[in-house]
Amino acid sequence: MKFSIPDFFRQFFKGIDAVHRNNAAALTIFEVEELENIFALLLLGSFVGFPSPPTFLAVELLPFMEKELRILNQRAKDSSDMFAEMCGTIGID
Amino acid sequence: MKILFFTGKGGVGKSTMAASTAWQLSQKKRVLIVSLDPAHNLGDIFGVTIKDEKTPFTEGLSLKEVDLRKLSKEYLKREINVLTDTYRYLQTLNLDNYFSVLKYSPGIEEYALLTSIEKTIREENDFDFILFDTPPTGLTLRFLALPSITITWIDRLIQIRRTILEKRHTIHRLRGPLDDKETILDYKEEDDDVLKRLQRLNDNYQSLNAVLQGENSSVILVYNPDILSLRESGRLIEGLHDLNLPLRLLINNKVTQENEGMSNYVDQRMGQMARGIAIKRVSLSKVLLDGKENKLYDVEEDVASVFL
Repeated sequence: MKFSIPDFFRQFFKGIDAVHRNNAAALTIFEVEELENIFALLLLGSFVGFPSPPTFLAVELLPFMEKELRILNQRAKDSSDMFAEMCGTIGID
Repeated sequence: MKILFFTGKGGVGKSTMAASTAWQLSQKKRVLIVSLDPAHNLGDIFGVTIKDEKTPFTEGLSLKEVDLRKLSKEYLKREINVLTDTYRYLQTLNLDNYFSVLKYSPGIEEYALLTSIEKTIREENDFDFILFDTPPTGLTLRFLALPSITITWIDRLIQIRRTILEKRHTIHRLRGPLDDKETILDYKEEDDDVLKRLQRLNDNYQSLNAVLQGENSSVILVYNPDILSLRESGRLIEGLHDLNLPLRLLINNKVTQENEGMSNYVDQRMGQMARGIAIKRVSLSKVLLDGKENKLYDVEEDVASVFL
């Protein structure tokens, strides 16, 4: 592709715009992921000893829970370093 | 269509009373009797072999025994099909094996039972009466409680799901997809499969609960004139009250001349625990005691007129 100055600036500002939009939504994204994690935990909590709803409810919803299950897994992996996770969320480097 | 549930402690004669009521009702109405007890003896009482499908006994009376194990299997099979449809890339794995453990998990059997009741009520519209002979107290209370418990859970889950979708919507407005390749998560209520399914389940259970607690459904409590039976019946009455289920008849079964004193005492206590509910007494059949041939479903006392 040929290098063009207007294109370069377009991409540059698009990048800056994306960063700002991402930053604005970052906390809400974190919050949603937490909620999805809780949702999955509530449904499938019997695996870790939480009181759980009737098993069939989990079975009924399992087919649509791929994303929530991924987050649940990720959270379990990250749980050893929650401090780093929080720092990342608040934006402390 | 009226729905009758026969409950009580194990061995008090639930099946016999259910069979007798069905027999008496069937003289005037069209009746289906369904046994939900895993230890079926409906066939023994009527002296016929009953398959899983409903078997006509007389013109007005049909019999059915529900195979719980088969039901749980079918239910899980349906779910596994949905799973494999959703996660096509997992089809290389042997999901059947993986999910076969689920049939041992608590709750599946009660759920299968409840599904079978719901299905019977929905499909068998040709009958005036459907009688359910239930398993002993513990299991019966658990599955009758299932719709209410489930509705509570579903309500909570719907709330959380709605919050998730609201937040996703906020994110979508703030940030939008950064490039074309990014997958957009569902943020509208009508697009979200999880919420849709939760709402469908909620509707199902609300309507089932309405049927169970409604005017046309009745719970009949069978007991014997002894202390053990009295205690357990007390618990059952409390349980039914908590679940808002309509107890409409008490049957004191196996009354003899010898236990008349005890019968009076038990009836009096039952009357205190369940105020305003009719009590019927059914005596222990002399012909049965003598070991002579008898139709087990044909008791002398009238147990059906209350429901006509």
